[in-house]
Amino acid sequence: MDNLDFSVVWKFRDALAWGLMMSLLLSGICSLAGTVLGFFIALCQQSRFRAVRWAAALYVEVLRGAPTLITLFWVFFCLPIILGVEINAFWSSIIALTLYMGAITSESFRSSLKSIGQDQYDACNALGLAPATRTFYVIAPQALIRAIPNILSNVISLFKESTLVSAVGMVELMYTAQSISNITARPIEILTAVALIYFVIGYGFSWVVSSVELRIRARVQS
Amino acid sequence: MQNLDYFFIIQAWPLFLKGLWVTLYLTFWANVAGLIGGALLALCTTGPYRLLSAPAKLYIEFFRCTPALVQIVWFFFCVPILFDVFWSPIFMGVVILGMNLSAFNAEAFRAAIQTIPRAHVDAAVALGLTPFERTAYVIMPQALRYAIPVLITNGIGLFQQTSLVALVGVDELMYNGRLISTSTYRPIETYTFLVLFYLAVSIPIGRLAAFIEARSDRALKA
Amino acid sequence: MTVLQPFVWGRSMADHFLKIRGLEKSYAMGVIKVLNGLDLTMTSKDRLVVIGPSGGGKSTLLRCIMGLENIAAGAIDINGEPYIGADNGATRIDRRIQKQIGMVFQSYTLFPHLNVLKNLTLAPVRSRGVPRSVAEDRAREIMRRFGLDQKLTAYPSELSGGQKQRVAIARALMLDPKLMLFDEVTSALDPELVSEVIAMIIELADGGMPMMIVTHDMWFARRIATRVVFCAGGTIAEDAPPEEFFARPTSQRARDFINNVLHANAEPA
Repeated sequence: MDNLDFSVVWKFRDALAWGLMMSLLLSGICSLAGTVLGFFIALCQQSRFRAVRWAAALYVEVLRGAPTLITLFWVFFCLPIILGVEINAFWSSIIALTLYMGAITSESFRSSLKSIGQDQYDACNALGLAPATRTFYVIAPQALIRAIPNILSNVISLFKESTLVSAVGMVELMYTAQSISNITARPIEILTAVALIYFVIGYGFSWVVSSVELRIRARVQS
Repeated sequence: MQNLDYFFIIQAWPLFLKGLWVTLYLTFWANVAGLIGGALLALCTTGPYRLLSAPAKLYIEFFRCTPALVQIVWFFFCVPILFDVFWSPIFMGVVILGMNLSAFNAEAFRAAIQTIPRAHVDAAVALGLTPFERTAYVIMPQALRYAIPVLITNGIGLFQQTSLVALVGVDELMYNGRLISTSTYRPIETYTFLVLFYLAVSIPIGRLAAFIEARSDRALKA
Repeated sequence: MTVLQPFVWGRSMADHFLKIRGLEKSYAMGVIKVLNGLDLTMTSKDRLVVIGPSGGGKSTLLRCIMGLENIAAGAIDINGEPYIGADNGATRIDRRIQKQIGMVFQSYTLFPHLNVLKNLTLAPVRSRGVPRSVAEDRAREIMRRFGLDQKLTAYPSELSGGQKQRVAIARALMLDPKLMLFDEVTSALDPELVSEVIAMIIELADGGMPMMIVTHDMWFARRIATRVVFCAGGTIAEDAPPEEFFARPTSQRARDFINNVLHANAEPA
């Protein structure tokens, strides 16, 4: 440990930058897809049909109750057998992370829907708005706005969970870091640098989230 | 699609159980460490001493904003080299998972301490309690009640995080599951069974947390 | 889908404007009775102020008239036509009549994600089929009349409590109501903001708007009421013109209530 040499990090900057880009790309795609999926699941949980509600609840319980790593392995090892198609590491990662994001985001939508007070429903009824009008113009927009801070912090969780996909050989920042440490036999320098990269991005984004949250909280008070 | 065959599970049963035992062992001791560490960190951050609060805040932010996998890999690769210590993998797992959980629990405690009405602290001062007595008899008992649902949720989160140490070679449930899957060529049965194992622990405890939260919401309304 | 004919108000005798018979309402599966066979009649010239102890059923009465609650028994007629009735556990509501009643709540209930203009035009445009330009012109006119035309593009979070409540009243007026219900509209306001809201309601009253008001403000009650109704235990315990009611309440409960209230907040000059 007497001779730490951080120049090795600079030497592999291209590989690390590529890995970081893949991590961000993966998180970005799965955040968008997962948010749409989560909204859909939250709607299913409000459904009139009991079977739909139960299916949605089961989905959320399983995806949140089991480690994401298992979801990933399940998609990577089992799904191709069941469907009879090849699913490479990239697509396995996309599917698993989207499923995870969908589950946690549906909970965000659900709690923001619940947070809208009875008085908003009363006002709509007193104004004689039809149920569809009420949902579409009054309740849903408010639920969406209120869910934003929560969804953004889900994005941070997703960014952190995206390191797992290195376990199925998806080349992103974590995978790159481990490969470089193995080649150079300098795990301390590489892993510390990568930890700092994750920290800077994660911390910066959480700072953005809290300032967005403050603004939204001021806006949604009636 | 191959025929599903759950019979092999009986043969694999001992390996599953051994893995489950290690997973529960990791979860239990990391939770013990995380509760103590979290409470201490929270007292440091809410206390008046900058010398304690600044490093505690940095610690919390660092562990919250970096992926758990990065922390685990860093710890397993770098600590033995840096400090020339060679602990058992399970003990290493307990330490790093406990350090991770401490950061999240510290946030739960801090948030709980801040929801205690200012008037209670004022009342304690007016009654002539010393700062230590205020903390021990007025602040912490209340904070603990507010924090319990979040602490349980964090504990379940940690239970799921234990699967990550499989990636650095600790033979817990996930690791043994992979072993069984590759040696029997039965990924669907193995991973489905693994999911059930994790759900069997996390769903009941999650329900318990929701129940306690609903009950203490009512109790604290007074 | 059927096209609803507008319900014409004031067609029959004025003293049948609003008639409530045997209204019952309970919560918690019938365990807690809030309204207990309440009877009440109101003419189109009346401005009814409902006062009484908390839990006596005042707000529930207004919410029932607005059609926000399911009732257990009884009926409400308007102009001699059935408006709300209990029908084997279900509540039957004539939506044509409901659409011509306006209600303002204690908690403002503005839609926080819409600006003032959108708050005012949402219901006319989306539920009554009024063209947007017509609705917006009407919103500007109403806002000008009540001195709020500076605030058309403001969001609710940028308004004071008094302004919010005046916008809420304006929002109800957009639908051209024939009866206005005010449920403790000044209770959530800071004392210095109460008068602007009361002034707006008085202006409406002077324009001849029939209204029913629940309030704890005895000065306001005396100023605006043509009749004061004392509601306690889920029924109307006393019903009299304001001078008479405040000077010589006949029932013991009303006497106790007035004594307590007048001693609690000193009467403004």
